[in-house]
Order: sequence, then structure tokens, then C-alpha cells
Amino acid sequence: MSQAPNRGPSKRSAIDIAGGLFLLAIAAIGYIGGFNLPVGHLSGIGSGLLPKTLAVLVAVFGILLILQGLFGPGPALERWAIRGPFFVLGAVVLFALTIRWGGLIIAGPLAVIVSSLGSNETRPTEVAIFAVTLTLLSGLLFKELLNLPIPFDPLGLIPSSLFKAYIGAKDGLAGLFAALKGAVTR
Amino acid sequence: MTFDLISNLSLGLAVALTLKNLWLCFLGCLIGTLIGVLPGVGPIATITMLLPITFGIDPVGALIMLAGIYYGAQYGGSTTAILVNIPGEATSVVTTLDGHQMAKQGRAGVALGIAAIGSFIAGCVATVIISALAAPLTAMALLFGPADYFALMVLGLMFAVVLARGSVPKAIAIILVGILLSTVGTDLESGEERLTFGWSEISDGLDVAVLAMGLFGFAEILRNLEVSQARDVVRAAIGNLLPNRKDFAQSAAPIARGTLIGSILGLLPGNGAVLGPFASYTIEKKLAADPNRFGRGAIEGVAGPESANNAGAQTAFIPLLALGIPPNAVMALMVGAMTIHGIVPGPQIMTKQPNLFWGMIASMWIGNLMLLVINLPLIGLWVRFLKVPYRLMFPAIILLCCIGIYSINNSPVEVLMTAGFGLFGYAVVKFGFEPAPLLLGFVLGRLMEEKLRQALVISRGSFMTFIDRPLSAGLLLLSLITIVLAVLPAIRKSREEVFQEAD
Repeated sequence: MSQAPNRGPSKRSAIDIAGGLFLLAIAAIGYIGGFNLPVGHLSGIGSGLLPKTLAVLVAVFGILLILQGLFGPGPALERWAIRGPFFVLGAVVLFALTIRWGGLIIAGPLAVIVSSLGSNETRPTEVAIFAVTLTLLSGLLFKELLNLPIPFDPLGLIPSSLFKAYIGAKDGLAGLFAALKGAVTR
Repeated sequence: MTFDLISNLSLGLAVALTLKNLWLCFLGCLIGTLIGVLPGVGPIATITMLLPITFGIDPVGALIMLAGIYYGAQYGGSTTAILVNIPGEATSVVTTLDGHQMAKQGRAGVALGIAAIGSFIAGCVATVIISALAAPLTAMALLFGPADYFALMVLGLMFAVVLARGSVPKAIAIILVGILLSTVGTDLESGEERLTFGWSEISDGLDVAVLAMGLFGFAEILRNLEVSQARDVVRAAIGNLLPNRKDFAQSAAPIARGTLIGSILGLLPGNGAVLGPFASYTIEKKLAADPNRFGRGAIEGVAGPESANNAGAQTAFIPLLALGIPPNAVMALMVGAMTIHGIVPGPQIMTKQPNLFWGMIASMWIGNLMLLVINLPLIGLWVRFLKVPYRLMFPAIILLCCIGIYSINNSPVEVLMTAGFGLFGYAVVKFGFEPAPLLLGFVLGRLMEEKLRQALVISRGSFMTFIDRPLSAGLLLLSLITIVLAVLPAIRKSREEVFQEAD
């Protein structure tokens, strides 16, 4: 994304200038989004008064910061990492896109493996095993124990023999859960 | 009065001491600590992540559990500060100074022990303060008109400006951005959609959990990935957990002072609680016979700030419960959590739902006791947990965050939005702003607009109402004084010093 034009001590403060521009961008979005809303009058404030006023105020502070950055010394802009944000946020986006049709069994490992690419210390085999374990554990926790309506395996990817074995094990555990639940709700 | 206090507390204890609520309190404390121990995961991210696990529970139980998660996360942060030298959040920064030194000298156990004991004592005192102040403050709240509420929130935001690190204009600007974000969604009075750009998904407004998770959960991970993750987990033995007689003698006064300072500062609107540990550390250093010991493993430097931290964390509930105004970002998130459970924080809770109100307060004390009981024996487990390398930890955190956000409304779009706010939060920090005041502005923004409109309708459009009412005039004057003082060079310098102490 943006890079500092020059590093080290400087007469200008890149971080303030960039921060000011950032505020101006937010203000512009806010003002455009509230453009058609009525401002109203003081005894009956319209829905547009606050967004527009706030957008203007944010812009004023943005300009203030830019001026402060142009004429005062200050720190340079920090370097933006690309790899971390790309893979970590990409993983979150992939989770959002796959959770409905693929369920946790697809979205879970995807989120873990893709986000792990954001670090250069990642080891492939380790992460693969970890992703599967973590997905199964969170399925157990959120789906079985907490009954959250999160889709687990809507495509039916788990082989039916495995699934039957699980149901068997689950029935065995069900008694235990029931006892626990009984203790909780009493 | 005293009789009321006792009868109210016993009502609360009757609620909190049911087997179910005890179990929820225990579970909350345990899971809260478990997640809170993770380096770089502060109370805000912890609460957001764990919000969905409270969904199937009745409001009273859910609130007790959430409160437990909150204390657990706080205490978990201290554990990480002592053992790994990574503060989970601003308030445990001070603990890293002497706590980690003690750990390096093989006294990690004593540091953790005194932190737990100090926190417990502070928690007990703070609980009594809350019970004593809740009734009169709630009665006072009923005298507040819309104009006064508005003025009080202005004051809160001004305090937040003063207490934020970095420059004053930047703090004000980021609060304004927070308020601007709060206007997104359908206008309650006219039904018009604002700033939604025709996107129906946000016509109900932005969800506080989505914003909080993006700003504090994801952005924090992005920041952590930038620095090398070679962590300094203490290798020395944990040592004895129970402080000896000399340790107690040295810690007693700092704990008492820390509790007092923390309790008072926690009451302030605008995140006064964050100041507690810093103030306590500064005072202990000034009072010490040999200030040179500080920073080299002085037990007073752990006992005082940790007590102040916990006292403040708890008295911060008072503005929320009595006035419905969250004083800091964590409490702002608690508002969101309560709303999900159909509870509107404010003075009406105490009169209309005394069970919930006093039950929660009583559970605070029980929660503190539980932290003491469950955490000390589990320290070995936390240490092992901390040794899990970050390269495995952050993908796990990401997955838990995704599941958490999805589960709040079963909405994939909200997960997408959280990713967007993660990037936004990363930018906010990169440009030198602080995300906590933004979240506070976001939550207070809606309330402020509502009260502003009400006040102006009552006064028929005259701004004089804010000056004519003595209460609102006084609060606004105080806000003005606060902000003027903040930009005065002398005060600004000492404000920087207070925060620099830790750096």
C-alpha cells in the first residue's frame, strides 16, 4: 500500500499527513453517504444533520493534521506489511464465502491453512494436521456442545461409515452430556 | 441504608449461588482466562470471541458468565504480562515491568500469586463500593434529563481524549470517526437509511461486535505478525506460589493504595480505569525507600498496579449499570452483549430487574474468589499453553473469531465486514490513531444523538437548554476545562510522562 517517501528524521511528519488524508477520505465517504438526507431544523433535527456535521468536523481535523504534518517534524510512516494482511484477511473472506455451502468442514481448514500463510514461520505438515484437528474440535464444541446453528458438513463429505461410527460414539457420550447438562440447568 | 445494602447483597448472593450460576461463573472465568492468556488477545477480543457461547443461556446466567469471562481475560492478561513480557492490553503494561523481572529471577509464582491476591482484595472492596454506590447513583440518574445525559457523554469522551496516548487532535478525530460510524443504518426517527449506500445488510446499523473484532481481534494479529515472534517465555522455575511473610509485608500497603486509586479512577467516564495501574506504579515508586528496585523485580510494582487494575475493571461497571453509559471500550462491548440478551443497561435495571442487577454484582465477588482458586493451581497449564508457538496460535484465533462472528447472527456478510474492519483497524493504527476511543465513540454516538434530539425537541430547538440546566452546564464546563487542560503544554508533558513510564 503506501510507503514512506523518506525515512529517518524529517522536517515533515509523513504519519500525520497520511493520517490527515485518511480522515479526509472517511469524511468524503460520510458526506457523500449522507448527501441526500435532510438536515432539518433545530427543534426537529433531520436525519442528515449529524452525519454531515460529523463528516465536516472529521475533514477539519484531517486538514489540521495535514498542516501539522507539513510544517512540523514527526515520525515517518510505518512500513505496511502485505503478506500478513493479505493471507489473514483473505482467510477470513474465504471462511465467509464457504461456510454456508461447504460448512465448517471446508471453511475451517481453509481459514486455518490460508491464514497460516501470513507468517513465514509456518510449517506445512504441522499446519495441515493442526487445521483438521482444530476443525473437528470446534465442530464438537460449537455444534454438539453449544448447539450453535453453524453448518458443519452440508455437502456430506464425511464418509457414511465414519459418520455412523461417530453417531455410535456420540450416543455413548450423550448420556454423559445429559448428566452434565442436567447439572447445569438445575 | 446499610440494611438495604445487606438485603440487596443477600438477594444477589441467592441468585449467584445457585448451582447453575456458580457453574456459569466458573466456566466464564476459566474460559476467559484460557483465551485471555493468549498473547495479544485482550479482553475485548476475548469477549467478542466468546459471546456466542452465552447464547443458549438465560439473561442472568449469560451476564454472570460474561462478567466471569471479563475478569478471566483481565487476569489472563496479567499472567501473560508476567510470564512472557507481552501485555495483553494497556492496563497490564505496567505489570510487565517488575512482574517479568521477578519471573526471570525465579519468582514467577510469587508474582502471579501476589497479583491474584491483590486482585482478589481489590475485587472485594470494589464489589462493596459498587453495591454502596449503585442505589444513590441510580436515584441520581433519574434526575438526569436528555440534555444532562448528553453533557455527561461529552464529558466522558473528553476524558477519553485526555487518556488516549498520542496527540490530542488525533484522539478527537478518531472519536468523531467512531460517532460517524454510529450513524450508519436506519434513522430511528425518520426511518431513512443513512450512509448505507443502498446496502441492505447494514440498514440495522453496524454491529458493535463486528467492529470490535475487526479493530481489536484481527488488526492486533496483523500487528503481531510484523514483529518477530521469538517469545521470551520464562524458562526459570515458577517457584513457590504463596508469597512469604516478607512479601506480604511489602505488598500490603501497595495493595491498599492500589485498590483505592483504581476504584476511584474506574468510576470516571472515558476509561479512567486505564490510568489506575500507571498511577499506582508511579506512587509506589515515589513512596519507596529505594526507588531503584523498581524495574528490577520489586514486588510492590506488581501488587499495587494489579490491585488498581482489578479495582478499576470492576468499578467501571458503575457508570454502565447506574447510568447506562459505558465508560470504556470493554464496557461498550458489554452493552452490545447485553443488548443481544435483551437487556438495556441503565438506571431501570436495578428497579425492574433486581435479580439480574444484584445477582451480577454478587457474582463479581464470587468470580474474584474463583479466579484465585482456579488460577493458582492452573499456572502450570497456562505456562505450557504459552509455549504454543504463535505460528499455530494465530490461525486458531482466526478460526475462533470467524466462528464467533458468524454465530452472532448466522451471517457470512458480517464475517466479511469484520475482515474489512480488520484492514480498517490496521490502517487506523498505522496512521498513529488509537482504536479504543473509536469504539467508545461508536457506542456513545447513538445514545448521544438520541439524547441530543430529545433535548432539542423539549427545548423547542434552543441550544440554551444545555446551559440553562445547571447539571448539563456544569458537565459541559468540566468537559471544556478537561480539554483545555489537555492541550496546555505543562499538563501535556506530564500526561506523556505517565504513559512513557512503561515504554
